[in-house]
This record gives sequence, structure tokens and C-alpha cells, in this order.
Amino acid sequence: MLPLRRWRIGIAAAAGLAFLFYFFPLFHIVPLKTVQQQTSQSLFDPVAFVDRFWNDQLIPAADRAVSASEVVEWIRSDPKGVRVKYGRQVGLGSSYYLFVSGRGRVDSSDKSSLEISLNDGSEPAKIRIITGNIFGNAVRDGTGLIDINDIPNSQDFNAVSSEINHRIEQNVLPPLRQKELIGKAIRFVGCAEIVDENTDLQPLRLVPIIVEVGPP
Amino acid sequence: MQRPLTQLLAPRPLLFLLLSMQLFLGCDSKGKTSSAKPRVAVIISTLNNPWFVVLADSSKQRAIELGYDVVVFDSQNDPAKEAAHFDNVISSGFKAVLFNPTDADGSVANVRRAKIADIPVFCMDREINANDAAISQVLSDNYSGCVALGQHFVKEVGESGKYAELLGLVGDNNTWNRSKGFHSVVDRYPELKMVAQQSADFDRAKGMEVLEAILQANPDINAVFCGNDAMAMGAYQALVASGKEKQVKVFGFDGADDVVRSIAEGKIVATGMQFPKVMATTAAESAHKYLQGEREFSQKTPVAVELVHQGNVGKYGDYGKKEAN
Repeated sequence: MLPLRRWRIGIAAAAGLAFLFYFFPLFHIVPLKTVQQQTSQSLFDPVAFVDRFWNDQLIPAADRAVSASEVVEWIRSDPKGVRVKYGRQVGLGSSYYLFVSGRGRVDSSDKSSLEISLNDGSEPAKIRIITGNIFGNAVRDGTGLIDINDIPNSQDFNAVSSEINHRIEQNVLPPLRQKELIGKAIRFVGCAEIVDENTDLQPLRLVPIIVEVGPP
Repeated sequence: MQRPLTQLLAPRPLLFLLLSMQLFLGCDSKGKTSSAKPRVAVIISTLNNPWFVVLADSSKQRAIELGYDVVVFDSQNDPAKEAAHFDNVISSGFKAVLFNPTDADGSVANVRRAKIADIPVFCMDREINANDAAISQVLSDNYSGCVALGQHFVKEVGESGKYAELLGLVGDNNTWNRSKGFHSVVDRYPELKMVAQQSADFDRAKGMEVLEAILQANPDINAVFCGNDAMAMGAYQALVASGKEKQVKVFGFDGADDVVRSIAEGKIVATGMQFPKVMATTAAESAHKYLQGEREFSQKTPVAVELVHQGNVGKYGDYGKKEAN
């Protein structure tokens, strides 16, 4: 009789605990995606931000870009001086950005870039325009138009970069991915990120912001 | 490496209480010690990770050089302990706080309490989600660093394969900035499949445990991306234990000395070099300038992260770039 009573008490206690923990659980299992969304949850809308930035700030700022031919000539004569003369540095570190524009002719292409011969300077010079996937913060940080302190959350700040890159891939790159561009004239405005001066200055690799392709 | 006294005492509540009383009794109402030096608190998210020990020791050393007495507090990745440290700092009359937060949102209240008490706070490495609480925040550019790591990942692993990701603390912005930077690259390659994504809290032992569990369900992964170097070392240990260290490429983030050595030895593929000494000294110098009367500070200053791989590992060591030292 006694064991049966113990069993009943045990079952009742277990049922009570199950009831208690069902309604008042000791912990919750939450998917990482949910936590990620909660962590980055804000009223900030990167798409709307980039809409305004692109039309109101970025395109009008194209006139401020320095001549690519001038920068390339400076790279030839004083590569270590490019940072001081033309570079824009964000925060602390050795990397910097260039905001340049120019005219030239498409010499060759591969799956991720075009080689351009510049024809608006005194010396022949070449640069590359990226036509593949766009990564990093070259346009966000290279133009100097957006300050990290304008946006309270670094995740939102990085979302701006991601959206700018997306927009470039959607709106700027398609004409550059067409075949039969070799020999055509091109006008461009873009940004380059210089992480290692030994490899990133020659040739400059530009993320394009504005590109116009015309007949040879 | 000599450990700060508070790290040794932190797990012992009684001793911690005695230390707090000593701190309180050891200063007058103006927060000066018997030696009359103003005091600066260094509050660190965890000292159970060599990278953060470097951050703490570097900020402490620079503050001492600038003429301050310094006490280091270890929050042990626990927001409650961090709040208790701020209580202590506020009641004990410290002049400034060099702060490495545990939680981007949760730590804001602590910084605001210090601000109300007229104690300036200078964040290091980790961000708080407010631009009006701390005087300044010196932060690693985690996103850009992991974009570079992601590109190197694709170069080393290829455009197809299976990989796992070990995340850090899920409440920390750094965790997601690193993950998003990495995924902004690798997600563009649909044949690169992430088969598991789990948090190991930036902890070496947890990194090992989590990857062991992942390997049981996914024995054929080609790579593992870890949100910090401690987890990368733990992951590598798990791979050695299972005999898969040649099969699975490990990527970390931090630039910890043991991982830089492991890259040189061909054990780990790459990491992102943060510069804890740069961040620590910048924060200490900002605090000094503030206490000298300067008031113009950029709220956030990003510090570039540099990719360290087997082709350039010789340039790096001692938590920075050799040529810069």
C-alpha cells in the first residue's frame, strides 16, 4: 500500500512540476535568427536611407571626385604620398580610400573587371573597374559623405554599405557586364579601397558609382 | 602573464566585498587615493581570454603612464557583475572608466548611470547602442575585417563546400557585425553551404565542445569560421581530437598571438588582426584629455582590421603589426 501511495505522490508532484514549468519555464530556446533580428532591431531603414543618399548626396558629389589620371600619375611618382594627397582615411589604421573620375577606353575584360586605358591625362595609364560582386565599404567610406556618427548602431551603418553595394550591382554594373565592350569609350566615377599600397595602387580597382559607355 | 588582482578575487564574493570596502575606504570624497593620484577604472567584459587581458593591461599601463591609479574589474561576461562594478566605481569616486561592455544594449544603462554621476566613460573594442552616453567609443571595424576574411575564405575553401560557423555572444554587436561581414561575401556563392551555426560565447572550451557536437552530425565539413580566435583554437583542438585537422580549414578573428603562431605553422588558415593595444591606449589618452578639459571627441572611431594569412603572417605578432611597433 505504501509504495502505491508513494507512486501517486510522485506522479502528482511530477504533474505539478510539469504544469508549473509549462506555464513558467526556467528558460526559453530561441532561434539564433530571432536573436539576430532582436539585436539589430531598430527603426533604421537602410533602403530608404540609401535612396536619399544616392539621389541627394552621392550623384551630386560626383563633381568632387579627383581625376583618375592625376592620381595614377601621382602613384607613379610618389606612391607613398597618395594617401596624404588624395586619400580619405576612416578612423585609425593603414587603409584609405580614393574617390576618382575619368574618361578612357575599354581595353579588355574578364569575369570580374574591365581594364580601362585612360585618355584624359598627359601620360597613358590604366585602371580596372570592378564588374563582379561588390564587397566592402569603398563607396560608403570613400566619398566622405556618410559619417559613422550619423548612425547610432554599427549594424545599421554596415547595412548601409551592404545596400549601396546591392544598388551598384543592380543599377550600375549591368551595362558593364555586356559583351562587346572592348574599344568603347567610357566615363566613370568610382571609389577604390587601398589596404595594401604594394598591391592596390597598381592598378587601381574602382567600385563604379556612375558609368557611361559610348561608341569608340 | 600577471593577472590583475580583481580577476583572481572576482569568483570569491567575500574577498571581492573586502576589496570593494578597501577601495571605498582608500579614497576621500573627491575620489583621490592616499597617494593623491586620480583613479581610473578599467572594466573589461572578460579576462578569461588573452586578447582581453591585453586590452586591459594596455589600457592600465597607458593610464598609469599618464599619472593615474588604475583598478581593473572583470565582468566575466556577466551583465550583472558589470552593473555591480559600475556601482562600485560610482560610489568610490573614480574619475573615469575605460570600458569594454558585455552587451551593446544592456550596458547602456550602466554608462548612463556613470554619466549622471559625472564619470566619463570611454568604450573600447565593443560598442554600446547609444551615441549620447559614452564620451567616445574606439571600435574595431569588425564588418570590414570579416568581409576581407570572407573573401579569403572563398579563395581558400573554394566556391563550393560545407562549413560551420561559431558565433560569439549573441547580445554583442561584434558577433553580428562579424557574421554579417562574413556572410556578405560567402552567401554570394550558393554552393558554399553553411550546415551549422551555433554560439560558443567567444569561449575556447565552448568552441571545442560546440564543434565536437557539430562534427558528429556533419563529419564532412570543409571549413569552420569562428567569430574570435579563442573559439578558433577550441575548434582546432576538436579537429585534432577527431583527426580532421587536415580536412577542415579553420578561420578565426582577433589576431591573438597563439592563432598568429598557428597560422605560421599552417594549423589555422587566417584571422583578422584587431589592434587591442591601439584601442586601449587611444581610450586611455582620450580619458586623460577629457580630464584635462578637452571636450571635442568623435563619438565613434573605427580601427581597421587587417587580414592575417599564411602569406603575410610574418608581418604580425604581439597583438599588432611588427613594423608598426
